[in-house]
Amino acid sequence: MMKVCVLTWEFPPLIVGGLARHCYGLGKAMAEKGHEINVATLSFPGAPSSEEIDGVKVFRASAEIGHPHFITWTLLFNHFLEKRVADIDASADFDVLHVHDWLTAPAGISLKHFTKKPMIFTVHSTEYGRSGLHSPDSYAIDGIEWWATYEASKVIVTTEFMKREVCGHFHLPWDKVDVIPNAIDLSKFNVYVDRDSVRRRYGVNPHERLVLCVGRLVPQKGVDYLIQAIPRITQRHREAKFIIVGEGWLKGHLEYLANQTGQRWRITFTGFIPDLELVGLMKSADVLVVPSIYEPFGIVALEGMAAGVPVVVSQIGGLAEVIEHDRTGIYVYARSSDSVAWGVDRVLSDPGHATWLTRNAKEKVQNTYSWEAIAMKTIEVFEKIARR
Amino acid sequence: MSGSSSGFSYGPVVPEDLRLLCMLHNIGAITPERSLTIKEISEWTTVESSTVQSYLQKFVEQGYVNHIKAGEVDRYHLTLNGIRKVLSIYS
Repeated sequence: MMKVCVLTWEFPPLIVGGLARHCYGLGKAMAEKGHEINVATLSFPGAPSSEEIDGVKVFRASAEIGHPHFITWTLLFNHFLEKRVADIDASADFDVLHVHDWLTAPAGISLKHFTKKPMIFTVHSTEYGRSGLHSPDSYAIDGIEWWATYEASKVIVTTEFMKREVCGHFHLPWDKVDVIPNAIDLSKFNVYVDRDSVRRRYGVNPHERLVLCVGRLVPQKGVDYLIQAIPRITQRHREAKFIIVGEGWLKGHLEYLANQTGQRWRITFTGFIPDLELVGLMKSADVLVVPSIYEPFGIVALEGMAAGVPVVVSQIGGLAEVIEHDRTGIYVYARSSDSVAWGVDRVLSDPGHATWLTRNAKEKVQNTYSWEAIAMKTIEVFEKIARR
Repeated sequence: MSGSSSGFSYGPVVPEDLRLLCMLHNIGAITPERSLTIKEISEWTTVESSTVQSYLQKFVEQGYVNHIKAGEVDRYHLTLNGIRKVLSIYS
Protein backbone atom coordinates (compact mmCIF):
# COMPACT_ATOMS: atom_id res chain seq x y z
CA MET A 1 0.00 0.00 0.00
CA MET A 2 1.39 3.37 -1.02
CA LYS A 3 0.94 6.57 0.96
CA VAL A 4 0.73 9.36 -1.59
CA CYS A 5 0.63 13.13 -1.18
CA VAL A 6 -0.95 14.81 -4.20
CA LEU A 7 -0.49 18.53 -4.80
CA THR A 8 -2.92 20.20 -7.20
CA TRP A 9 -4.47 23.62 -7.28
CA GLU A 10 -7.78 22.32 -8.64
CA PHE A 11 -9.88 19.62 -6.98
CA PRO A 12 -13.70 19.29 -6.79
CA PRO A 13 -15.75 21.31 -6.12
CA LEU A 14 -13.19 23.71 -7.59
CA ILE A 15 -13.48 22.60 -11.21
CA VAL A 16 -12.16 24.89 -13.92
CA GLY A 17 -10.65 22.61 -16.53
CA GLY A 18 -9.68 18.96 -16.74
CA LEU A 19 -7.15 19.03 -13.90
CA ALA A 20 -9.72 18.68 -11.11
CA ARG A 21 -11.41 15.78 -12.88
CA HIS A 22 -8.05 14.10 -13.50
CA CYS A 23 -6.93 14.36 -9.87
CA TYR A 24 -10.32 13.23 -8.56
CA GLY A 25 -10.63 10.25 -10.95
CA LEU A 26 -7.08 9.08 -10.36
CA GLY A 27 -7.23 9.59 -6.58
CA LYS A 28 -10.53 7.75 -6.24
CA ALA A 29 -9.33 4.79 -8.32
CA MET A 30 -6.10 4.54 -6.30
CA ALA A 31 -8.01 4.73 -3.02
CA GLU A 32 -10.28 1.92 -4.23
CA LYS A 33 -7.15 -0.20 -4.70
CA GLY A 34 -6.30 0.35 -1.02
CA HIS A 35 -3.73 3.15 -1.33
CA GLU A 36 -3.78 6.16 0.98
CA ILE A 37 -4.31 9.27 -1.09
CA ASN A 38 -3.93 12.70 0.53
CA VAL A 39 -4.72 15.66 -1.70
CA ALA A 40 -3.51 19.13 -0.76
CA THR A 41 -5.22 21.82 -2.79
CA LEU A 42 -6.49 25.39 -2.98
CA SER A 43 -9.44 26.35 -0.79
CA PHE A 44 -12.80 27.15 -2.38
CA PRO A 45 -15.66 29.06 -0.70
CA GLY A 46 -18.11 26.59 0.86
CA ALA A 47 -15.73 23.62 0.74
CA PRO A 48 -14.42 22.40 4.15
CA SER A 49 -10.76 22.75 5.02
CA SER A 50 -10.54 18.97 5.22
CA GLU A 51 -12.86 16.15 4.19
CA GLU A 52 -12.88 12.69 2.66
CA ILE A 53 -14.31 12.32 -0.84
CA ASP A 54 -14.74 8.75 -2.12
CA GLY A 55 -11.86 7.47 -0.02
CA VAL A 56 -9.56 10.39 -0.91
CA LYS A 57 -8.47 12.63 1.97
CA VAL A 58 -8.65 16.27 0.87
CA PHE A 59 -6.90 19.13 2.63
CA ARG A 60 -7.46 22.69 1.48
CA ALA A 61 -5.15 25.65 1.96
CA SER A 62 -5.94 29.34 1.59
CA ALA A 63 -3.51 31.99 0.51
CA GLU A 64 -3.79 33.97 3.74
CA ILE A 65 -1.71 36.77 2.30
CA GLY A 66 -2.56 38.09 -1.13
CA HIS A 67 -0.85 40.11 -3.81
CA PRO A 68 -2.32 41.52 -7.04
CA HIS A 69 0.47 40.03 -9.13
CA PHE A 70 -0.35 36.42 -10.04
CA ILE A 71 3.08 34.85 -9.74
CA THR A 72 3.66 36.50 -6.37
CA TRP A 73 0.24 35.22 -5.31
CA THR A 74 1.15 31.71 -6.54
CA LEU A 75 4.36 31.66 -4.51
CA LEU A 76 2.50 32.87 -1.41
CA PHE A 77 -0.17 30.22 -1.95
CA ASN A 78 2.56 27.57 -2.27
CA HIS A 79 3.94 28.60 1.11
CA PHE A 80 0.53 28.01 2.71
CA LEU A 81 0.11 24.76 0.81
CA GLU A 82 3.44 23.52 2.11
CA LYS A 83 2.40 24.42 5.65
CA ARG A 84 -0.89 22.58 5.14
CA VAL A 85 0.94 19.42 4.04
CA ALA A 86 3.07 19.61 7.18
CA ASP A 87 -0.20 19.73 9.16
CA ILE A 88 -1.53 16.61 7.40
CA ASP A 89 1.21 14.47 8.77
CA ALA A 90 3.77 15.88 11.16
CA SER A 91 6.19 13.12 10.24
CA ALA A 92 5.42 13.72 6.54
CA ASP A 93 5.86 10.01 6.06
CA PHE A 94 4.64 9.76 2.48
CA ASP A 95 6.07 7.26 0.03
CA VAL A 96 5.84 9.70 -2.87
CA LEU A 97 4.80 13.26 -3.66
CA HIS A 98 2.75 13.65 -6.82
CA VAL A 99 2.67 17.20 -8.16
CA HIS A 100 0.36 18.34 -10.97
CA ASP A 101 1.49 21.31 -13.06
CA TRP A 102 3.66 24.28 -12.12
CA LEU A 103 1.12 26.00 -9.87
CA THR A 104 1.94 23.69 -6.95
CA ALA A 105 5.49 22.80 -8.02
CA PRO A 106 7.34 25.18 -5.64
CA ALA A 107 5.65 23.51 -2.62
CA GLY A 108 6.30 20.06 -4.07
CA ILE A 109 9.99 20.74 -4.60
CA SER A 110 10.44 22.10 -1.06
CA LEU A 111 8.61 19.11 0.40
CA LYS A 112 10.76 16.76 -1.65
CA HIS A 113 13.95 18.20 -0.16
CA PHE A 114 12.52 18.42 3.35
CA THR A 115 11.04 14.91 3.47
CA LYS A 116 13.68 13.24 1.26
CA LYS A 117 10.82 11.52 -0.55
CA PRO A 118 10.68 11.22 -4.34
CA MET A 119 8.60 13.66 -6.31
CA ILE A 120 6.71 12.71 -9.45
CA PHE A 121 5.61 15.59 -11.65
CA THR A 122 2.69 15.32 -14.06
CA VAL A 123 2.80 17.93 -16.81
CA HIS A 124 -0.71 18.48 -18.19
CA SER A 125 0.40 21.34 -20.42
CA THR A 126 3.27 23.78 -20.73
CA GLU A 127 3.41 27.56 -20.79
CA TYR A 128 5.36 27.26 -24.03
CA GLY A 129 2.52 25.29 -25.63
CA ARG A 130 -0.34 27.25 -24.08
CA SER A 131 0.71 30.72 -25.01
CA GLY A 132 4.30 30.88 -26.12
CA LEU A 133 6.97 32.75 -24.18
CA HIS A 134 6.26 36.43 -24.57
CA SER A 135 6.48 38.20 -21.23
CA PRO A 136 8.49 38.16 -17.98
CA ASP A 137 5.67 36.19 -16.35
CA SER A 138 5.58 33.54 -19.05
CA TYR A 139 9.37 33.11 -18.85
CA ALA A 140 9.08 32.71 -15.07
CA ILE A 141 6.33 30.08 -15.44
CA ASP A 142 8.39 28.27 -18.07
CA GLY A 143 11.32 28.34 -15.65
CA ILE A 144 9.28 26.84 -12.82
CA GLU A 145 8.03 24.12 -15.18
CA TRP A 146 11.60 23.29 -16.21
CA TRP A 147 12.74 23.35 -12.59
CA ALA A 148 10.00 20.89 -11.58
CA THR A 149 10.83 18.48 -14.41
CA TYR A 150 14.51 18.67 -13.34
CA GLU A 151 13.73 18.03 -9.66
CA ALA A 152 11.28 15.21 -10.37
CA SER A 153 12.34 11.57 -10.17
CA LYS A 154 9.90 10.87 -12.97
CA VAL A 155 7.77 13.03 -15.24
CA ILE A 156 4.34 11.83 -16.37
CA VAL A 157 2.49 13.17 -19.40
CA THR A 158 -0.82 12.05 -20.90
CA THR A 159 0.11 11.69 -24.59
CA GLU A 160 3.07 11.00 -26.88
CA PHE A 161 2.54 14.52 -28.23
CA MET A 162 3.22 15.93 -24.77
CA LYS A 163 6.24 13.65 -24.32
CA ARG A 164 7.77 15.10 -27.49
CA GLU A 165 6.95 18.64 -26.35
CA VAL A 166 8.29 18.18 -22.81
CA CYS A 167 11.46 16.29 -23.82
CA GLY A 168 12.16 18.72 -26.63
CA HIS A 169 11.50 21.96 -24.79
CA PHE A 170 13.02 21.04 -21.41
CA HIS A 171 15.79 18.84 -22.84
CA LEU A 172 14.80 15.85 -20.72
CA PRO A 173 16.14 12.35 -21.27
CA TRP A 174 13.52 10.33 -23.16
CA ASP A 175 13.38 7.65 -20.43
CA LYS A 176 12.64 10.16 -17.68
CA VAL A 177 9.16 10.73 -19.12
CA ASP A 178 6.35 8.15 -18.99
CA VAL A 179 3.10 8.43 -20.93
CA ILE A 180 -0.01 7.54 -18.94
CA PRO A 181 -3.22 8.71 -20.59
CA ASN A 182 -6.14 10.47 -19.01
CA ALA A 183 -9.32 8.55 -18.26
CA ILE A 184 -12.93 9.18 -17.41
CA ASP A 185 -15.48 7.80 -14.97
CA LEU A 186 -17.59 5.67 -17.30
CA SER A 187 -20.29 5.05 -14.66
CA LYS A 188 -21.15 8.76 -14.84
CA PHE A 189 -22.46 8.19 -18.36
CA ASN A 190 -24.53 5.09 -17.60
CA VAL A 191 -27.59 7.09 -16.62
CA TYR A 192 -30.95 7.52 -18.27
CA VAL A 193 -31.44 10.96 -19.75
CA ASP A 194 -34.75 12.34 -20.95
CA ARG A 195 -33.34 13.85 -24.13
CA ASP A 196 -36.38 15.95 -25.02
CA SER A 197 -36.61 17.44 -21.57
CA VAL A 198 -32.89 18.34 -21.47
CA ARG A 199 -33.18 19.95 -24.92
CA ARG A 200 -36.27 21.89 -23.91
CA ARG A 201 -34.35 23.40 -20.97
CA TYR A 202 -31.90 24.89 -23.48
CA GLY A 203 -34.51 25.94 -26.05
CA VAL A 204 -33.80 23.10 -28.50
CA ASN A 205 -36.82 21.29 -30.00
CA PRO A 206 -36.78 17.51 -30.62
CA HIS A 207 -36.51 17.91 -34.42
CA GLU A 208 -33.63 20.42 -34.24
CA ARG A 209 -29.94 19.44 -34.45
CA LEU A 210 -27.96 20.22 -31.34
CA VAL A 211 -24.30 21.11 -31.90
CA LEU A 212 -22.46 21.16 -28.57
CA CYS A 213 -19.09 22.62 -27.61
CA VAL A 214 -17.66 22.21 -24.10
CA GLY A 215 -14.53 23.81 -22.73
CA ARG A 216 -12.95 26.75 -20.99
CA LEU A 217 -13.55 29.88 -23.01
CA VAL A 218 -9.88 30.65 -23.63
CA PRO A 219 -7.99 31.02 -26.93
CA GLN A 220 -6.48 27.50 -26.83
CA LYS A 221 -9.94 25.95 -27.15
CA GLY A 222 -10.57 27.50 -30.58
CA VAL A 223 -14.27 28.14 -29.92
CA ASP A 224 -14.06 31.15 -32.24
CA TYR A 225 -13.54 28.76 -35.19
CA LEU A 226 -16.80 26.97 -34.39
CA ILE A 227 -18.66 30.27 -34.07
CA GLN A 228 -17.28 31.46 -37.41
CA ALA A 229 -18.39 28.15 -38.97
CA ILE A 230 -22.00 28.63 -37.89
CA PRO A 231 -23.26 30.54 -40.99
CA ARG A 232 -21.83 27.80 -43.22
CA ILE A 233 -23.27 24.98 -41.10
CA THR A 234 -26.71 26.53 -41.01
CA GLN A 235 -26.79 26.92 -44.80
CA ARG A 236 -27.08 23.13 -44.97
CA HIS A 237 -28.71 22.49 -41.59
CA ARG A 238 -31.32 25.17 -41.03
CA GLU A 239 -32.57 23.39 -37.94
CA ALA A 240 -29.17 23.53 -36.14
CA LYS A 241 -28.76 25.10 -32.72
CA PHE A 242 -25.47 25.65 -30.91
CA ILE A 243 -24.76 25.35 -27.20
CA ILE A 244 -21.42 26.50 -25.85
CA VAL A 245 -20.70 25.31 -22.31
CA GLY A 246 -17.95 26.77 -20.16
CA GLU A 247 -16.59 29.84 -18.49
CA GLY A 248 -13.51 31.82 -19.28
CA TRP A 249 -11.96 35.19 -19.87
CA LEU A 250 -12.62 35.13 -23.62
CA LYS A 251 -16.39 34.94 -23.18
CA GLY A 252 -17.04 38.59 -24.03
CA HIS A 253 -15.07 38.33 -27.26
CA LEU A 254 -16.85 35.09 -28.25
CA GLU A 255 -20.25 36.66 -27.60
CA TYR A 256 -19.21 39.53 -29.84
CA LEU A 257 -18.26 37.05 -32.59
CA ALA A 258 -21.58 35.25 -32.09
CA ASN A 259 -23.41 38.54 -32.65
CA GLN A 260 -21.47 39.05 -35.89
CA THR A 261 -22.73 35.75 -37.37
CA GLY A 262 -26.28 37.06 -37.79
CA GLN A 263 -27.34 33.78 -36.16
CA ARG A 264 -27.15 34.84 -32.53
CA TRP A 265 -30.60 33.42 -31.80
CA ARG A 266 -29.28 29.93 -32.50
CA ILE A 267 -26.38 30.22 -30.06
CA THR A 268 -26.55 29.75 -26.28
CA PHE A 269 -23.69 30.36 -23.87
CA THR A 270 -24.52 28.44 -20.69
CA GLY A 271 -21.52 29.42 -18.56
CA PHE A 272 -20.36 26.79 -16.06
CA ILE A 273 -22.78 23.89 -15.52
CA PRO A 274 -22.53 21.04 -12.99
CA ASP A 275 -21.27 17.62 -14.10
CA LEU A 276 -24.60 15.82 -14.02
CA GLU A 277 -26.23 18.47 -16.19
CA LEU A 278 -23.28 18.27 -18.58
CA VAL A 279 -23.71 14.51 -18.97
CA GLY A 280 -27.39 15.11 -19.80
CA LEU A 281 -26.46 17.70 -22.40
CA MET A 282 -23.81 15.47 -23.98
CA LYS A 283 -26.25 12.57 -24.21
CA SER A 284 -28.81 14.87 -25.83
CA ALA A 285 -26.52 16.41 -28.45
CA ASP A 286 -26.22 15.40 -32.12
CA VAL A 287 -22.56 16.31 -32.38
CA LEU A 288 -19.81 17.46 -30.02
CA VAL A 289 -17.20 19.79 -31.50
CA VAL A 290 -13.71 20.15 -29.98
CA PRO A 291 -12.07 22.83 -32.17
CA SER A 292 -8.93 23.33 -30.02
CA ILE A 293 -5.75 24.87 -31.36
CA TYR A 294 -3.63 23.49 -28.48
CA GLU A 295 -4.75 20.36 -26.66
CA PRO A 296 -2.30 18.19 -24.71
CA PHE A 297 -5.00 15.54 -24.21
CA GLY A 298 -8.62 16.61 -24.72
CA ILE A 299 -10.59 14.83 -22.00
CA VAL A 300 -13.82 16.38 -23.24
CA ALA A 301 -13.55 14.27 -26.41
CA LEU A 302 -13.38 11.12 -24.27
CA GLU A 303 -16.45 12.29 -22.36
CA GLY A 304 -18.31 12.78 -25.61
CA MET A 305 -17.28 9.32 -26.80
CA ALA A 306 -18.52 7.79 -23.52
CA ALA A 307 -21.78 9.73 -23.76
CA GLY A 308 -22.41 8.30 -27.23
CA VAL A 309 -22.29 11.58 -29.14
CA PRO A 310 -20.29 11.76 -32.40
CA VAL A 311 -17.19 13.90 -31.92
CA VAL A 312 -15.59 16.32 -34.38
CA VAL A 313 -12.10 17.31 -33.23
CA SER A 314 -9.10 19.29 -34.42
CA GLN A 315 -6.34 17.01 -35.62
CA ILE A 316 -3.79 18.28 -33.14
CA GLY A 317 -1.95 17.23 -29.99
CA GLY A 318 -3.61 14.62 -27.85
CA LEU A 319 -6.84 14.70 -29.82
CA ALA A 320 -5.00 13.21 -32.79
CA GLU A 321 -3.99 10.27 -30.57
CA VAL A 322 -7.31 9.76 -28.79
CA ILE A 323 -9.50 9.84 -31.93
CA GLU A 324 -9.17 7.68 -35.04
CA HIS A 325 -10.40 9.59 -38.06
CA ASP A 326 -13.63 8.27 -39.55
CA ARG A 327 -13.65 5.34 -37.09
CA THR A 328 -14.18 6.86 -33.64
CA GLY A 329 -14.69 10.49 -34.67
CA ILE A 330 -13.99 13.07 -37.36
CA TYR A 331 -10.81 15.11 -37.71
CA VAL A 332 -10.87 18.68 -38.88
CA TYR A 333 -8.02 21.09 -39.47
CA ALA A 334 -7.19 23.29 -36.48
CA ARG A 335 -7.71 27.05 -37.01
CA SER A 336 -10.10 26.46 -39.92
CA SER A 337 -13.77 27.32 -39.60
CA ASP A 338 -14.38 25.87 -43.09
CA SER A 339 -13.00 22.56 -41.91
CA VAL A 340 -15.10 22.67 -38.73
CA ALA A 341 -18.19 23.29 -40.87
CA TRP A 342 -17.22 20.33 -43.06
CA GLY A 343 -16.81 18.05 -40.03
CA VAL A 344 -20.13 18.99 -38.49
CA ASP A 345 -21.85 18.51 -41.84
CA ARG A 346 -20.19 15.09 -42.23
CA VAL A 347 -21.85 13.95 -39.00
CA LEU A 348 -25.23 15.65 -39.38
CA SER A 349 -25.67 14.58 -43.01
CA ASP A 350 -25.12 10.88 -42.41
CA PRO A 351 -26.88 9.61 -39.25
CA GLY A 352 -25.96 5.99 -40.07
CA HIS A 353 -22.27 6.82 -40.17
CA ALA A 354 -22.62 8.92 -37.01
CA THR A 355 -24.12 5.94 -35.17
CA TRP A 356 -21.28 3.72 -36.36
CA LEU A 357 -18.72 6.26 -35.13
CA THR A 358 -20.30 6.45 -31.69
CA ARG A 359 -20.43 2.66 -31.36
CA ASN A 360 -16.72 2.36 -32.14
CA ALA A 361 -15.89 5.31 -29.89
CA LYS A 362 -17.73 3.88 -26.90
CA GLU A 363 -15.94 0.56 -27.29
CA LYS A 364 -12.56 2.33 -27.50
CA VAL A 365 -13.20 4.37 -24.34
CA GLN A 366 -14.38 1.35 -22.37
CA ASN A 367 -11.34 -0.71 -23.34
CA THR A 368 -8.63 1.92 -23.00
CA TYR A 369 -9.50 4.87 -20.81
CA SER A 370 -10.80 3.60 -17.46
CA TRP A 371 -9.45 5.15 -14.25
CA GLU A 372 -8.84 1.69 -12.84
CA ALA A 373 -6.31 0.91 -15.60
CA ILE A 374 -4.69 4.35 -15.39
CA ALA A 375 -4.41 4.13 -11.58
CA MET A 376 -2.65 0.77 -11.85
CA LYS A 377 -0.12 2.17 -14.33
CA THR A 378 0.50 5.22 -12.12
CA ILE A 379 1.00 3.09 -9.01
CA GLU A 380 3.53 0.98 -10.93
CA VAL A 381 5.51 4.16 -11.60
CA PHE A 382 5.27 5.19 -7.92
CA GLU A 383 6.42 1.78 -6.71
CA LYS A 384 9.40 1.70 -9.06
CA ILE A 385 10.48 5.17 -7.96
CA ALA A 386 9.92 4.49 -4.24
CA ARG A 387 12.05 1.31 -4.43
CA ARG A 388 15.08 3.18 -5.82
CA MET B 1 -4.09 21.94 -18.38
CA SER B 2 -3.15 24.63 -16.07
CA GLY B 3 -1.36 27.87 -15.63
CA SER B 4 -0.72 30.65 -18.04
CA SER B 5 0.40 34.20 -17.79
CA SER B 6 -2.16 36.77 -18.68
CA GLY B 7 -1.33 37.50 -22.31
CA PHE B 8 -1.55 35.16 -25.25
CA SER B 9 0.68 35.47 -28.25
CA TYR B 10 -1.88 34.08 -30.65
CA GLY B 11 -5.12 35.62 -29.55
CA PRO B 12 -6.78 38.54 -27.86
CA VAL B 13 -5.11 39.69 -24.65
CA VAL B 14 -6.91 39.68 -21.32
CA PRO B 15 -8.97 42.87 -21.20
CA GLU B 16 -8.17 45.50 -18.56
CA ASP B 17 -11.40 44.93 -16.63
CA LEU B 18 -10.62 41.23 -16.27
CA ARG B 19 -7.20 42.09 -14.93
CA LEU B 20 -8.98 43.83 -12.08
CA LEU B 21 -11.11 40.72 -11.52
CA CYS B 22 -7.88 38.68 -11.31
CA MET B 23 -6.35 41.11 -8.88
CA LEU B 24 -9.46 40.88 -6.69
CA HIS B 25 -8.87 37.14 -6.57
CA ASN B 26 -5.16 37.44 -5.93
CA ILE B 27 -5.61 39.86 -3.04
CA GLY B 28 -8.06 37.44 -1.45
CA ALA B 29 -11.48 39.08 -1.93
CA ILE B 30 -13.21 35.75 -2.48
CA THR B 31 -15.63 35.47 0.45
CA PRO B 32 -18.00 37.88 2.23
CA GLU B 33 -15.65 37.93 5.24
CA ARG B 34 -12.78 39.03 3.03
CA SER B 35 -14.75 41.49 0.92
CA LEU B 36 -13.17 44.88 0.29
CA THR B 37 -14.28 48.47 -0.22
CA ILE B 38 -13.60 50.39 -3.44
CA LYS B 39 -10.97 52.42 -1.60
CA GLU B 40 -9.20 49.29 -0.38
CA ILE B 41 -9.32 47.69 -3.83
CA SER B 42 -7.97 50.85 -5.39
CA GLU B 43 -5.09 50.99 -2.88
CA TRP B 44 -4.21 47.32 -3.36
CA THR B 45 -4.31 47.42 -7.13
CA THR B 46 -3.28 51.05 -7.82
CA VAL B 47 -6.26 51.33 -10.16
CA GLU B 48 -8.20 54.62 -9.94
CA SER B 49 -11.28 54.44 -7.66
CA SER B 50 -13.58 55.64 -10.44
CA THR B 51 -12.31 52.89 -12.78
CA VAL B 52 -12.65 50.28 -10.02
CA GLN B 53 -16.23 51.41 -9.40
CA SER B 54 -17.23 51.21 -13.04
CA TYR B 55 -15.67 47.74 -13.51
CA LEU B 56 -17.24 46.45 -10.30
CA GLN B 57 -20.67 47.60 -11.39
CA LYS B 58 -20.27 45.60 -14.60
CA PHE B 59 -19.01 42.51 -12.74
CA VAL B 60 -21.96 42.64 -10.34
CA GLU B 61 -24.35 42.72 -13.32
CA GLN B 62 -22.50 39.77 -14.90
CA GLY B 63 -22.65 37.76 -11.69
CA TYR B 64 -18.88 37.63 -11.14
CA VAL B 65 -18.85 39.89 -8.08
CA ASN B 66 -21.12 40.18 -5.04
CA HIS B 67 -21.95 43.56 -3.57
CA ILE B 68 -22.53 43.73 0.18
CA LYS B 69 -23.96 46.79 1.85
CA ALA B 70 -22.76 46.93 5.47
CA GLY B 71 -24.30 50.08 6.93
CA GLU B 72 -22.88 52.95 4.93
CA VAL B 73 -20.08 50.87 3.46
CA ASP B 74 -20.14 49.04 0.13
CA ARG B 75 -17.95 45.95 0.02
CA TYR B 76 -17.20 43.58 -2.85
CA HIS B 77 -15.97 40.02 -3.31
CA LEU B 78 -15.86 37.44 -6.11
CA THR B 79 -18.70 34.95 -6.58
CA LEU B 80 -17.99 31.27 -7.32
CA ASN B 81 -18.43 32.03 -11.03
CA GLY B 82 -16.07 34.97 -10.66
CA ILE B 83 -13.45 32.67 -9.13
CA ARG B 84 -13.90 30.18 -11.98
CA LYS B 85 -13.59 32.99 -14.51
CA VAL B 86 -10.31 34.13 -12.99
CA LEU B 87 -8.86 30.64 -12.67
CA SER B 88 -9.70 29.95 -16.33
CA ILE B 89 -7.09 32.56 -17.21
CA TYR B 90 -4.43 30.64 -15.37
CA SER B 91 -5.62 27.13 -16.33
